[in-house]
Amino acid sequence: MKMEFTALFLAVAVVMAAAWWGTRTLALALFAATLVAAVATYLHHASDVLKLSF
Amino acid sequence: MTRSLAITLNALGLYAIALVLLVAFGAQLILHELPCPLCLLQRIQFAMLAVGPILNVRFGPRPSHYAVSLLTAAAGAAFASRQILLHIMPGDPGYGSALLGYHYYTWAFIGFVIAVVAIAAMLMFDAQFKESDKAQPLDNFARAAVWLVLALTALNVISSLLECGFAACPDTPVTYELLKRL
Repeated sequence: MKMEFTALFLAVAVVMAAAWWGTRTLALALFAATLVAAVATYLHHASDVLKLSF
Repeated sequence: MTRSLAITLNALGLYAIALVLLVAFGAQLILHELPCPLCLLQRIQFAMLAVGPILNVRFGPRPSHYAVSLLTAAAGAAFASRQILLHIMPGDPGYGSALLGYHYYTWAFIGFVIAVVAIAAMLMFDAQFKESDKAQPLDNFARAAVWLVLALTALNVISSLLECGFAACPDTPVTYELLKRL
């Protein structure tokens, strides 16, 4: 996936901005979406083949 | 615990998160060690830890705001523990330099566990949740903490863009991909 970490940092900054200037509901909804995206990114990387050398 | 004390402690938590993000930047810029994809994910979780305290500072303490931080810390601890397990074999040098005997991902795991314990301790004080519908007058100490973590997160947006460029981030980054193109 391209630019996933930049997108995630940007999403977190947007969630913070929503928490500081927006409504609670908006901030919580954006938080949930960002957390799901972060976990999905983790699972995507965790499913990569490990290059182990025994 | 009074409501105002809880808000002050949440602001202190924001400063602690800012310190973690600053140390990570320090390792990146002073030691020239670029964060790997899993390292970036852990940084993202540290930044996300700030959302709960920001909500507490702005709207007053609520259990749901602490739940936001707990979910984030649990995910962050899971990400860090995977990286610890990836380097657990004897003889594995680990990723990056060690700081005070531990690699950054081990410190990250410890940090997320400390966050879980601190949040659980905060949740034990029910008095902070009274009168939660009233707006709180914001002091400069809390306001500055929010701006600091926001600024550091914005800097991470730029840093990760420089590191990964417009493509997928390499597993073991050694150079800033975007700067290579210039």
